[in-house]
Amino acid sequence: MDQTLEPIYNAVLNGDKDAAVENVQAALDAGTDAGVILQKSLIPAMEKVGQLFEAGEYYVPEMLIAARAMQAGLGLLKPLLVDSDVKPTGKVVIGTVKGDLHDIGKNLVAMMLEGAGFEIHDLGTDVSPDKFITAIKEENVDILAMSALLTTTMPMMETTIKAVDEAGLRDVVKIIIGGAPVTTEYAQKIGADGFAPDASQAASMAKRLVA
Amino acid sequence: MNTVVSKLGQIQASWDFGLDNMPSFEKAMQRVYAWYENEIIDRAPIRFMAHNAFLESETDTLYQMTPEQREKWWFDAELQVENFSKSIDGRTFHAETFPVYFPNLGPDVYAGFYGAELEFGAVTSWSVPCVQTWENTDKLALDLNNIYFQKIEDLTRCALDRCENKFMVGYTDLHPGLDCVAAWRDPQQLCFDMIDAPDQVQRLADLAIEDFETIYDHFDNLLKQAGQLSVSWMGIPSYGRMHIPSCDFSSMISPRFFEEFGLPILEREVQTMTHNIFHVDGKGVARHLNAILSIPEVHAIQWVQGVGDDLPIMQWVPFIKELQAKKVPIIVDLNKVELESFMDEMNPQGLFLWVATENEQEELEILKRIERWT
Repeated sequence: MDQTLEPIYNAVLNGDKDAAVENVQAALDAGTDAGVILQKSLIPAMEKVGQLFEAGEYYVPEMLIAARAMQAGLGLLKPLLVDSDVKPTGKVVIGTVKGDLHDIGKNLVAMMLEGAGFEIHDLGTDVSPDKFITAIKEENVDILAMSALLTTTMPMMETTIKAVDEAGLRDVVKIIIGGAPVTTEYAQKIGADGFAPDASQAASMAKRLVA
Repeated sequence: MNTVVSKLGQIQASWDFGLDNMPSFEKAMQRVYAWYENEIIDRAPIRFMAHNAFLESETDTLYQMTPEQREKWWFDAELQVENFSKSIDGRTFHAETFPVYFPNLGPDVYAGFYGAELEFGAVTSWSVPCVQTWENTDKLALDLNNIYFQKIEDLTRCALDRCENKFMVGYTDLHPGLDCVAAWRDPQQLCFDMIDAPDQVQRLADLAIEDFETIYDHFDNLLKQAGQLSVSWMGIPSYGRMHIPSCDFSSMISPRFFEEFGLPILEREVQTMTHNIFHVDGKGVARHLNAILSIPEVHAIQWVQGVGDDLPIMQWVPFIKELQAKKVPIIVDLNKVELESFMDEMNPQGLFLWVATENEQEELEILKRIERWT
């Protein structure tokens, strides 16, 4: 890896926000293109974080501080990426379904998607089907990502998918779902395009869906 | 085995407790006490109720309510006790299915005793994080006149007034320790804090266990004075002091963090109890089992395999066998359609089965099968 990019990669992996900012700035000062910094250090670092999480070497705290470091570095790059017309991997609207206030899983998925180059519109928790639909229309998104942690709120995913369908938007977005009670079979049953068991795999799936 | 039965016989002799709708109460208690000791009298204990079954009633009605209406519903002691009492009308309780009412304002109520505000949903409640800055830690203090503490007492007293010979009254779901810290601080924020501000986490963790004994004793005394056994949401009683330690938050953290922040609290939490059944909420918590079981006062565990891809139970058979080999009594919650294959694969030593059933006939049929399980 390039000498200016490796410290950024390591800073994200170590969850060192200050070092991430410092090294992203240093790379920019050295004339490295913002898109290159994103593609060659921040995104690979978050991919590695995902792998470490899946392997049971990182846990939620380690993943969160890595994502925070990534976001801090990305903060410096965003205006430059816009100026140079670098397109995001895709646009995602994400939220926890109506009646459910759990947010950590959803936040981790949002962070991993952002770390994979997606533009994120996070609607938070307790999101009604109407709110999802409005966001799909207004933000022109590629993917709708829904989370539910309770068996009692999980049916709201199906309700939302039906509402998206009735609004004539089903062909416009890919829909991915996740959360403890959700399975691949359930995703198929309710007409979602995919299910991911954790945040890292959600990012990989989202990339496949927009490829 | 005779030792367990004879010791329990002496205890039971000093108690005047029975239930009209549970004719085999004393025998059921013998099976429970044998199970606590990882032994079996005549068959494995079985409870005909699923884990968290108590959460499912009234859900549809509650979804339609405003937040204010929901809080009123949760706070209505007469209604809560009446609903429970009606739900068991005319029912005969078989095997080790004890009719237990426990006062419930959700799992964060312990955090609420210190000033955290609770928001009430249809099946559970959530705390609003109250430690926004570290200075807020100084404001946290146990208040026995706190609205939630008083309401739990109110619910308990109301149930005690109406329970006679019909149901047992338990104590509420108490989560001291890291679950309480997570409720005060917000679980995601607590994850950051463990790395950014471990000293502050330690301070909160110490606070979250400091008054546990006072709180436990308060409700234990209230119940014991009314002639009740010690029991809570798990529905497994003890004539002594029964407790359900847990740490759901630990599903997110590494063994190192659990041992640093969670284990010392657990050691204090279980100290004064006669029987501790640790609630292992899925595979995330199970990764800490060696640490949990290193505490001798943890007598047994409740294994909750989870939902989604963590079902069905058969995938956990090797895990359960491992615990059996360690002589750890274990509660296993399974679907009735899984029962036959599970019993074929396992021996009953140390197992306490939980199975949801539709009717009494089904329970009696399952019981006959369990009696043949060796």
